[in-house]
Amino acid sequence: MSTSPATSTAAEVALSVRNLTTSFRTDRGIVTAVEKASFDLHRGEALGLVGESGCGKSVTSKSIMRLLPEHITRYGKDSEVMLGPDNLMGYSGRQMRDIRGNRIAMIFQEPMTALNPVFTVGWQLDEALKYHTKLGRSERKRRVIELLDMVEIPSPEKRYSEFPHQLSGGMRQRVVIAMALACEPEILIADEPTTALDVTIQAQILKLMNDLRERTGTAILLITHDLGVVAQTCDRVVVMYAGQVVEQAPVRELFHNPSHPYTRALLRSIPRSGKKERGKRLATIDGIVPSLTNMPPACRFADRCDCREDRCTAEPPHLVQLNEDRSVRCHFPVHSD
Amino acid sequence: MSDSSANDSRVLRKFLRHKPAVVASVVIAVYGVVAFVLLVVGVITLPDTLKRVGAELQPGLSSERLPEKRLLDCEWLIDRIASLSERRNPEKALAAFSDMGVRRIADVELDELLNRIDLAWESYDELADIEDVTAAAAGTLDDPDVPPPAEVRSMLTELEKRTDALLEPMTKAEKSTRWFELLLGTDRQGRSIFYRAVYSVRVAILIGLVTALLSVTIGTLAGLAAGYFGGWVDNVVTWFYSTFASIPNIVLLILLAFMFDGGHIDGPINKVTGGLLDRLIGGRLDETLIPVYIAFTATFWIGPCRVVRGETMKIKELEYIQAATVMGFGRARILLRHVLPNVTYLMLINFSLLFIGAIKSEVILSFLGLGVKKGPSWGIMISQSKSEVINSFFWQIGTATTFMFFLVLAFNVLSDALQDVLDPKHV
Amino acid sequence: MWSYLIRRLAYNIPVYFSILLLVMLALRVRDPVFGRLGKNATQEDITALRAELGLDRPFVYQYGDQVRQVVTFTFDEKSWDYDGQTVGEVLRRCIGPSLAITIPALILTSLLSISVSLVSAWFRGRTLDKSLVFVSVLGMSISFLVYIIFGQYFGAYRLNEYLGKDLFAIYYEPSASNATLGEFVTQVWPKYYLLPVMISVIVAMGYDTRFYRAVMVEESSRDYITTATAKGASHGKIMFVHMLKNALIPIITRVVITIPFLITGSFLLERYFGIPGMGNQLLMAVESGDFPIVQSFTAVFAAIYILSNLLTDVLYALVDPRVRLS
Repeated sequence: MSTSPATSTAAEVALSVRNLTTSFRTDRGIVTAVEKASFDLHRGEALGLVGESGCGKSVTSKSIMRLLPEHITRYGKDSEVMLGPDNLMGYSGRQMRDIRGNRIAMIFQEPMTALNPVFTVGWQLDEALKYHTKLGRSERKRRVIELLDMVEIPSPEKRYSEFPHQLSGGMRQRVVIAMALACEPEILIADEPTTALDVTIQAQILKLMNDLRERTGTAILLITHDLGVVAQTCDRVVVMYAGQVVEQAPVRELFHNPSHPYTRALLRSIPRSGKKERGKRLATIDGIVPSLTNMPPACRFADRCDCREDRCTAEPPHLVQLNEDRSVRCHFPVHSD
Repeated sequence: MSDSSANDSRVLRKFLRHKPAVVASVVIAVYGVVAFVLLVVGVITLPDTLKRVGAELQPGLSSERLPEKRLLDCEWLIDRIASLSERRNPEKALAAFSDMGVRRIADVELDELLNRIDLAWESYDELADIEDVTAAAAGTLDDPDVPPPAEVRSMLTELEKRTDALLEPMTKAEKSTRWFELLLGTDRQGRSIFYRAVYSVRVAILIGLVTALLSVTIGTLAGLAAGYFGGWVDNVVTWFYSTFASIPNIVLLILLAFMFDGGHIDGPINKVTGGLLDRLIGGRLDETLIPVYIAFTATFWIGPCRVVRGETMKIKELEYIQAATVMGFGRARILLRHVLPNVTYLMLINFSLLFIGAIKSEVILSFLGLGVKKGPSWGIMISQSKSEVINSFFWQIGTATTFMFFLVLAFNVLSDALQDVLDPKHV
Repeated sequence: MWSYLIRRLAYNIPVYFSILLLVMLALRVRDPVFGRLGKNATQEDITALRAELGLDRPFVYQYGDQVRQVVTFTFDEKSWDYDGQTVGEVLRRCIGPSLAITIPALILTSLLSISVSLVSAWFRGRTLDKSLVFVSVLGMSISFLVYIIFGQYFGAYRLNEYLGKDLFAIYYEPSASNATLGEFVTQVWPKYYLLPVMISVIVAMGYDTRFYRAVMVEESSRDYITTATAKGASHGKIMFVHMLKNALIPIITRVVITIPFLITGSFLLERYFGIPGMGNQLLMAVESGDFPIVQSFTAVFAAIYILSNLLTDVLYALVDPRVRLS
């Protein structure tokens, strides 16, 4: 479905992340969850942020919104999150509040817990409008019902005064999406928005998000571990491994021609249907993701890589620009053209 | 089960990294050793805590007493020895003297002793004429008849020397015993506060250990049975704990104390069991700690029962238990091998919490006259210090509170650590 | 919501009747009349007293009679200690003083400890938070009785000495019981009750603050808090609107858990300061073996507790839509 016209690099950059480093203070000292992550999100595009659990993709998205608990989180000194001309890293709490829910909005993984159980759906949707618009009470109510209608919730007037526990999971996720879209944000960060849902509901939600993107021109940063979802939804992909960006590519090229051994292994582990594939054993990646407290000094994937060489354990690879849209962090990128 | 042992060592490592918890464990161990030594070796015995070791309300750590108080203390001792020497059989009475702890009356002829008593009284009378010795010694008394302060002070020293001459000089061993006796002062009846506080460690550890063990055992068994078997077992257990939990603690404790009070219940129990009680404890039931154990256990078992029941119900639904059931393992085996190990963490946490509960409730019950009846306990000491505090004497309340404070604090820290390590989900 | 409340009622009523049964059986383990009259009593005295209280009737009748007394709230048995007064009269006299300690103590403790816990949670992980937690653990390790003894010493003796007048009374004076309502509020309460209430609040603060802080920290890590932050809600809005309303559920649970402690506290305070409340009266009755008072007062204490449980259920329904709409 990557038919959006916004795939070209000439498109305007909506959000630019540069050298994002996020670390946490823990009982065992400082733990770095994301190290020098850089990528751009273009206006109107859908960018996939892919990786196994624990690779730092959620931390990246929460860092952009500065949603991590402040008393234990430290960002790198040269970390930049550029929204237009401004670096969000330098924003005060008050300035950040004006951004959140207004210019950048977020959808969460667990629709069951993302909504506050003791307030009505209407109240929670209304809240975002109250903070960021100058609309009056009745205008806001009209807008909320319009939003509920937009995310295809039946009888929105009735749902307005219901509590979250009265809605199904898919319905709640629609409410969360409506909430995120309330102030027509430039950027929508969706953190595993379909993981907790049934497969049929998943497809509906993805379609809804895509439709809304086409209609409103909002750029989407989709965080997921599911490459199938990426293939369906995204224009470009950023692959993360153990806190680092290891590959960046347009979705079609990535799927057809992965450069990083990790991306290739990841693609091989997707179950496929079709005659050719029948009877084949599903590939897995040997070994486990290195722990954050005990990172290999050089290439972080070296231990699990099937084309490892001496250099891989001696010297850390840098992110190398292959061409205009592609970059990879590997001493020996795969060329299988 | 190799997985579970790996898990255990991980938990242990996590616990050992928790420094306050390790310190707390050491503190608790020290109290435990003290209690054990007292119980087995008997360094400080019950009679030690009940006998006089000197004048009343002595401050501890050899703190300075007011001249007035020094005068009073001398008067008390001279008077005490003088009255013994006037008995029909003075030698025997004097030999039996034990009001000064290890100190004995000077081993001299009676005439010589009477002579020393006269000398001491002489010295005392001079000072007794002064209206306010404290003021006189400080020089703030504006009276021309009163000797200058320096002289008053030396008169006081002389009196104390003469009073001390009534007693036998101490050997080295006696001196060190004497040091302990007076370490933290004396209470209103001249008993050693240090001895009483240390002896109370034994009482506290006993009460804490017995009630926490009993409550956790009963609560866990009832909770396991209710959670695992369900049905009427669950109904009975739930009914019991709802009922017990709906009577305010203190009211239940009072009710139970009312049952045991005055030994009225002993007769019937002995009649029914054929004198079992008499043979077992050889005295009145309400003078032992047994009523306290029963009263606390009756209120404390509810907590562990409730959490264990809930946890068992959850565990019962887990797949591996279901699998074990399907594989035809006996219920008892499943309960003991699979369910029990998964609730031991709750038992540990509850044990620690109930230990604190028991020690603190003892104070309250003892104050209300319903707790420990014979011998000292921290509760008895704190209750007795009520009248001392009004006279600004804080040694007894301070000592009992400090002794209790470190034990309870250690258990508080330990409970927190156990909860952190074993039950991270806990609020 | 009504079906929920009716269910709760249907659960609590049988529990209450079994408490009553248990209490009455426990009180009869030793002969109440013999215990009162002692060894030298004549057989006639014993028979007479037993008949007066109906203890010679079968237990079922005695139980039925006690149920009647509780349900109609007419405790018409004669107290043994107070000549000619019924238990009901004694009870009515004692209820006021007990409430004058417990209700203000409960309200003040809850308000203060919730506020402090919010401050603590706000500065979570910082020095202020850590010191508050530390102080509350220290406070929890000291006996209630020590707080009372020192409270009286410093709050009454030393303070009065310092001020040269009696701000807080050291001990209750019987004349204070004759005050009118107006006098009670303006003079008697501040003089005789305020100090005990303050002691009660200080003791409970440690426990409650720690608990509420844990609740707030737990709530602050919930997903819906992240959602609210992502929406652009301010720190204050999140704490006082989103968190506090959710935290009300554990807060209500906590308040119920503290009621027995509150009762224990009021027993101690009434006893220590000589306040003629229900706890003090029950303790005196236990000492003198005044059986009718012991039996009925225990029944009333259990009833108060069951009623407070029911009240909680109503509060749950009001706060939590999941309960209300189930």
